[in-house]
Amino acid sequence: MAAAEPPLKRSRRETRNDGGSALSTYGLLAPTLLVLAAFFLLPLYYIFMFSVALRRFSPTEALASLNGELSGFTGELWSKLLGVGVTVKVPGLDVDVPLLLVAIVFVVLLVLAVTGSKLKDYGSWVVGVAFALLLVPFLTFPAGNNLVRVMELTSDGQYVRLFFKSVTMAMTSSVAAVLIAIPVAYFLAFCVERSKYTWLLIVIAPFLTSYLLRVFAWKVILGDQGLINSGLMAIGLVDQENPLTFLIYSQFTVIVVLTYAWVPFICLPIFLSFQTIDRRLLEAAMDLGATRMQAFRKISLPIIAPGIVAAFLFVFIPSIGEYITPTLVGGVNGTMYGQSLATQFVGGAFNWQFGSVMALFLLGVVLLLTFATSRFLRAGGGGI
Amino acid sequence: MARDSTFVVISPNGKRLLTLFFAIFLIILYLPTVLLILFSFNDSTVATFPLVGFTTKWYGLAIHSEEIRLSLLASLRVGLISAFIATLLALMAAYPLARRNVRGRPLISAMLLVPLVVPTVVLGVALLILFQKGAIPIGLGLESVMIGHVIIALPFALLILLPRIASIDKRLEEAAYDLGATGLQTFRIILLPLITPSIISAFLISFVFSIDEVVIASFLAGDQATYPVYLYSGLKFPEKTQTLIPVATVMIVLSFLFAIGAEMIRRYGDRRLQGR
Repeated sequence: MAAAEPPLKRSRRETRNDGGSALSTYGLLAPTLLVLAAFFLLPLYYIFMFSVALRRFSPTEALASLNGELSGFTGELWSKLLGVGVTVKVPGLDVDVPLLLVAIVFVVLLVLAVTGSKLKDYGSWVVGVAFALLLVPFLTFPAGNNLVRVMELTSDGQYVRLFFKSVTMAMTSSVAAVLIAIPVAYFLAFCVERSKYTWLLIVIAPFLTSYLLRVFAWKVILGDQGLINSGLMAIGLVDQENPLTFLIYSQFTVIVVLTYAWVPFICLPIFLSFQTIDRRLLEAAMDLGATRMQAFRKISLPIIAPGIVAAFLFVFIPSIGEYITPTLVGGVNGTMYGQSLATQFVGGAFNWQFGSVMALFLLGVVLLLTFATSRFLRAGGGGI
Repeated sequence: MARDSTFVVISPNGKRLLTLFFAIFLIILYLPTVLLILFSFNDSTVATFPLVGFTTKWYGLAIHSEEIRLSLLASLRVGLISAFIATLLALMAAYPLARRNVRGRPLISAMLLVPLVVPTVVLGVALLILFQKGAIPIGLGLESVMIGHVIIALPFALLILLPRIASIDKRLEEAAYDLGATGLQTFRIILLPLITPSIISAFLISFVFSIDEVVIASFLAGDQATYPVYLYSGLKFPEKTQTLIPVATVMIVLSFLFAIGAEMIRRYGDRRLQGR
């Protein structure tokens, strides 16, 4: 019967929904979308309302329950968080600028970093410089007992300062994680000949085990009587009475643990982007006289670059709002924004409205970053 | 001259160096897990060096602890139910997204995937407001945790199911329609057997995520602690920690097995599809 139909008609039939009506299409999507509307969009709407609502309640009630009457809108809480000055510190120079200006500069740099490659000339330079400028203010280098900064952003507003600090910590551990994952992925992709995927699974498996316990185990390694300190004491490098205290309950600890926790996960996207490189291209380049380094730079690097940016973002995005790691191993020195946010709801501060402002600010930054870089995320994640 | 196949990508010395790097990486990667297993048999109340002596008493204590048993049961329940719901919802959404012309697809995809990047602490507090003061005042408890976990697990499940459904030859289903099968019959007879491995793998990923999730759970569990919440509160107090390590060790080994199981099922599915 189908064979008797002219080909034209048949192809039109194919483009029509094969057997499914619009009703069943949207009927199947509806439950999921409803669940998301009720338990994802609605809660976000509530934190938005809490962040801008002017409420009337007596002070005692306010602590017990935030069920105040909505009596208007206010931007007061937002200006409490955002209406602060920012000091840009580079060695030998301090410059004061409003937060808004800093935000605009960052958005412009982000846009340049993402779209720069479309420029005809100097495209890769624009991208490189924009990425470098985005990273530099937030990178930290360990030097002895201290962490050294090339450029620092600080603020007179305590929450903004804390936010910059969290971004710094997240950025540092993301860069470290990528730098460790690249050689691991390179090794797996090019040097392992047999059962490549089994090795990959061995690398990734720890990511799927209890996060809390891996954090806890680091306490055992880095603690005052931990593996490193007792090892150093045993060989006499460290005095029994003076263990290396910066190892635990500090920014350093949080950065180490975050890096450790995420490296296995990002080995996957980097490995996959190495896998897409055709080895014959490299062979051709070397036959034509290129060195290995030149071949890597001219052929491999452009291919893996999106995967590397994606890997960086896979660590960075969840790390900015990190809450568990700093609570367990950060101590006072390693406090992060997410903890301060949580304190507004369940800890001592108990200020749901200001907590909502903090939550929305964090969400805004993360979403902006995600949408700006969605091209990379898709390339690395193989998403929809 | 026979060249080593890795010659073009790395020099022989570089390869040695990289192998060494990889070996050190693997040791550090597994060091924390090994330490936990060691300390679960250590005869001391604090997890510090040097090791004191071999004992299995912590396992004994853990088995008889009512708190641990209840929290494990709570986690199991939350994990199984939320993984089931997340997988089902993801499957229902993935089918039309992979097969039909959906209007507003970019918007719908974005909405389905955005929970991936929303910081869990933000989702946790937002749901806290919804359940305590909002339009859905079900309060705090395991049901609330389940809902939170469904939202986060949904995109993971979708990312596993959607590409798989999209990769299956559409003509198989068209043939079934042409032979008179209904939509549901086609799904059950043609599609379901082909995507079963992916469904299982989506379920396992959602489950593994849920039984390890602590942020949302600690905001929404109220006084019914799930295992990670119990563990988290215990880890903050060193004197309580030692009794937690044995269960932790068992959990780590189990989740390793789970992860490997999920991966093997996924690969089995891949092979079967390629074999067609």
